[in-house]
Parts: sequence; structure tokens; C-alpha cells
Amino acid sequence: MFAYYFKLGLRNLRRNPALTALMVLILAVGVAASVSTLAILHVMSGDPIPGKSDRLFVPFIDNGQPDGYVLGAEPVDMQMAYPDAMNLLRKHPAERATAMFGTGMSIEPPRSDIPAFQAYGLAPTRAFFAMFDVPFLHGQPWTADDEARGANVVILNRTVAEKLFGDANPVGQRLIMNREPFTVVGVLGDWNPMPRYYKLIGSGPATGEEFMIPMATAVRKELTPYGSVNCSQVRDPGYASLLASECTWIQFWFETRSAFERAELQSFLENYAGEQRKLGRLKRNAPIELYDVMAWMEVRKVVGNDTKLSAWLAFGFLILCLVNTVGLLLAKFSARAPEVGIRRALGASRREIFQQFLIETGVIGLAGGLLGLLLAFGALALIGMQSRSMAAMARMDWEMLGLTFAISLCAALVAGLLPTWRACQVTPAIQLKSQ
Amino acid sequence: MLRMTNLSKVYRTHMIETHALRGFEIDVKQGEFVTVTGPSGSGKTSFLNIAGLLEEFTSGEYILDGVNVKGLDDAARSRLRNEKLGFIFQGFNLIPDLNLFDNVDVPLRYRGFNARERKGRIEDALAKVGLASRMKHYPAELSGGQQQRVAIARALAGSPKLLLADEPTGNLDTRMARGVMELLEEINAAGTTILMVTHDPELAVRTHRNVHIIDGQVSDLVRHTPSLVDAGAATAGATA
Repeated sequence: MFAYYFKLGLRNLRRNPALTALMVLILAVGVAASVSTLAILHVMSGDPIPGKSDRLFVPFIDNGQPDGYVLGAEPVDMQMAYPDAMNLLRKHPAERATAMFGTGMSIEPPRSDIPAFQAYGLAPTRAFFAMFDVPFLHGQPWTADDEARGANVVILNRTVAEKLFGDANPVGQRLIMNREPFTVVGVLGDWNPMPRYYKLIGSGPATGEEFMIPMATAVRKELTPYGSVNCSQVRDPGYASLLASECTWIQFWFETRSAFERAELQSFLENYAGEQRKLGRLKRNAPIELYDVMAWMEVRKVVGNDTKLSAWLAFGFLILCLVNTVGLLLAKFSARAPEVGIRRALGASRREIFQQFLIETGVIGLAGGLLGLLLAFGALALIGMQSRSMAAMARMDWEMLGLTFAISLCAALVAGLLPTWRACQVTPAIQLKSQ
Repeated sequence: MLRMTNLSKVYRTHMIETHALRGFEIDVKQGEFVTVTGPSGSGKTSFLNIAGLLEEFTSGEYILDGVNVKGLDDAARSRLRNEKLGFIFQGFNLIPDLNLFDNVDVPLRYRGFNARERKGRIEDALAKVGLASRMKHYPAELSGGQQQRVAIARALAGSPKLLLADEPTGNLDTRMARGVMELLEEINAAGTTILMVTHDPELAVRTHRNVHIIDGQVSDLVRHTPSLVDAGAATAGATA
């Protein structure tokens, strides 16, 4: 009977077309509003690296000054000082560890028709690529030897590689960066995780880093860190002073073999902090924190209160739309009372009538979902026009596409419950006599 | 086929009790064509609604084709209605958005017949009422008489044992009414029991017998076809 009722539902869309169109539109607007905010929430709060997010950890070692320190107070900065980063890279119990900072370099294209341009990059250690499952279109990460030497090697993202070298594989090609020759060792595949969970402190281009060079190279060339550099004490000028200082500007990650090794890592870091306190480097007796990916996104407030509020408001709006739809459905179904009477007389039980009208409501929900999807695409396009970072987040994936129809269908079915129940209560004898 | 014993129907509001039927007794045998007459408000419609399982009765007993309907739930009553009964109404009661084929299809859907069986039954039923060529037409495209024929086809398609007709010619002119009545007589002659409410005494005399209702009780019984009565077919209890 489902197919029969579905066919009747489709046919009845044409019945009272103005009323039906109004219902579909109201439902669509409500669905579009909630789906477009949900889409952003989904992108921002989803697990960016499923299967590994509970094995990747950001450590927080508070190296601030003791003056005015209150236990449990929110730290000014959660990055790491260079000495700690080097110490932890040298010795740690985890499977892998990486440190990184954002930077920029000018690139002189090998083709004379393209002018030199400033590019935004990342300077991580080699383990970064394996830790974050970074795909390569061409080549591979730089070698351990390159890293140890601080060699002039670079990995380009796909856009920059195509801009500079066209469709050709540029691995092995040379490139002038900050007036020095660099050898291309790899080209990243399509990799632009949103949110940029691996580097949540400091801004970057919405389209992702345009190049990556070894951190050792960036340090050897004294590249300026892009993003925040927090110093709790006045330091001497110069790059060497920055490296030796307690200023925090490095972002650090550990990867353990399993989530159970977290305790071991925590214990190691506490021992490390204890040693550094004895050496007089760490002056606060602050707890050592270890955040996995999802906890780190929570701490960094990747999903802001504004976004959460928007989602709640959108759902409030959807409920408002539902209430309107209930009213319209009541009107539509009450006009169908004679038909209910006839069907009941011809052998339909209340249950059959309930099924028929609920499926008809579902058809309206699907129509609303279809229109809602179009409106949601429009809304996301409008949101994306605000900024490039919003454009990267305001997108619809298959999951959200399915969710749009699910929300619309559920919303319509919920809205249809009361009108459908009312339809079932029709007394056939009265309807048949009044015809 | 249909037997009601000491049946009563009381409509209650918080102020008033109205006895639509009281001590109502009727026994209709298989193959009979019985008319029910009576003044407005006498209880004809209540009787027909109860007979058609569209309303519950307050007390008494109602046996339909051997099934005691008292206490049956909605699903069972609906199934019984679908399998055993056919309805013809004064206002035709076709679904305006469905063409003739789909209108006749409605009760067959609830019966659970497969598509092939349904198609065969619909075509046979519409052919029987002379509308086989207009299956794709909508009710609004037909005359009143034709619409009533479609309603008859719909009632017949499920091969009911009992046809309940509520003033089936009430909205038709004399010529169309005659046509519909002849059709009903043919159906009855083929073995289907018919119970028809009518105000028209001319139609009443054409049936096997007439049951007259006044104040919710059978007041008079007029036998028109001795052979059936003699065979013990009609035993309507006159309580007045």
C-alpha cells in the first residue's frame, strides 16, 4: 500500500496547489535555515581526522611568569616556546611528534609571465605529513637528511604547483624563494581540512598553506613566524634571542600508538616539566595539559558561541515553520473529510487512513526538502561571500544532503501527526450523508 | 444474511438522550431485495449506518453473514465492511480527483488484491454498468446517472454479499432513476442481497418486501414477493 499512498500523495500535491505550495515553501525555508547553519556547525565541529583524533595530542606546558598567576586561570597563550619544542622533539615516548609555525616567503616563478608573489606557508618537521595523513600528488616529504641539514627543499600545494609549473610534475624543479633556490620535493594532494585543526592558533589562508618547508630550514633562514608570538618578558632583539626566549610561538603535536598511551605521555610531560622547574625555566606550578583533537578544538572554541546560537535560532525558526505547517495541514486535511468518509465506508481502517495521510505529509516533506536544499545552497553561497574562510566552511557534503531530507521529512511527519490523527477521527456516516 | 435482534441505538449529549432505534428486529435472507421506508427522523439512516458497520449500536445483537459484530475492533469491522458490504449513496460519493478506474479501485486496494486481479474486476464492474469505455474519465465529466452507475460498479467490484443503498435514485431524474433501479434488480437477480432505503413507494413495490420504520421500530412489513416470504426468507419482527 505504500506505493499506492505515495502515488496518491504526489497526486494530492496538485490539490489545493496554493495551499500546498505555501506549505512546501514554509517547510523549505525552515529546513534551509537550519541546514545552512548546521552545515557550518558540522564542518566546524566534525572530527577532522576520524580514527586518529584520539591519538593526536597537543601538550600545554605553561611557562608564564609566576606574578599574578592563579591556578586554573585561562592561559594567555597555548603555544610552546622553542626550547621546549626542541627538547620534546629530541626525546619523547610517543610514536611521532611534530612542531610547526606559520611563515611567509616570496616566490619567483620560473615562468617570466608570472610576477613574483608572497606566499603563506608552514614550517613543520617531517613527521607532520605522516601524523596528519597528508596526501601527496607528486613526490614525498623531505628526507630526514634534508631536515637535519635544514636543506632548501619545498613542498607546494596543488594550486601553487599548477600556477608555477602547469600540469607537469615539478618534483626536482628549482624555484627561487626569498631569493634563494629551493628544490621542489613534493606536491600536496587535495588536502584542506576544515577547521585547520593542526594549527588552530594564528590565522592562515582559507585555501590552506601554499608551501611547506622544513622547520629547521625556516629557522636557519630566520623566517618571521606569522601569527602570534607571546612573550611574558622583554627579550633581546634578534632571531637567536627569539629561539632562546620563553616566548611561545610554536605549535606542537604528539601521536601515540594507541589512545591508552596517553597516560604514559602525560607522565613523561610531568617529569619533563618537573626537570625544567628544577632548572628554573618553568616558574609556575601549573598542571600539564594534554588535549586530543576534539578536546583541542573545544578548548580553542572552534565552534564559537555565535555559531551555536545561530543553530539554536535556526531550529527555533524551524519549529515556528512547523507550527504554521500544522495549521495549513489541518486546513488541507479537514477539506478531505468527505474522502476519508468514503474510504472508511469502502473498507479503510483508521490505521489505513493514518498511513495514507502520513505518507502524503511525507511527500510534502520531501518536496520541502528538495526546495529547502536549493535554498540552503543559496544561503551557504551567500554566507560564503562574506569571507574566504567562511566560503571554505559553508559547504554541503553528502551527509548534510541526506540530513536535509531527513530533517524535512521528520519535520513534515511531526507537523502531520495532529492533522493526520484528526483525519482519522472523521465519522464516515456524517460525511457520507452530507455529500 | 443480516439479523438484528432487540437492537437499540441511543445518541447521548450531556442534556438529552435520543433513541434512534429501540427494540429493532430485522432478518434479511440471502438473495433478498428489501426496501426500508419511513418518515424523516424515523431511524432509517441509523439503521443503515449500523448495518453498514459505520456506526456502533448501543445494545442488542447484530449478526452479519454469520459474524456477530458486537465488540469487533476498528480493523475487524473495516475488513468485514470491505469484504461483505457494498455501498451506494444518494450523493454518489465518488472521489473527484480519481478517474473512474481509480475510484472503483479504492475498495479493491484495501482488500489486498494484486494488480492483475484488480484490473480484471474493475473492467468487469465498469462493463457491467455500461461504462467500460470511460474508465479514464473523471466523475465531473459524467451525468448524475452515470456517476451512480460508477458507484454501483465500485460497490460490485469487490463481490459483496450485501449491497446497502441509501436513496440511490434520490438525486436522479425519473429516466435515470429507472435505469439505476433496473441495474439494481439485475444485480439482485444475480444473487446479491440488497437493502435499500427509499422514499419512493413506486420503487418499494418493485422489491421483495418493504420494511417501514417509525420512531426507531419496524412498524409495518409489506411482502411483495410471496415466493420468497413463503420460503421463510423474511421474518422482520413488527413490534408496533
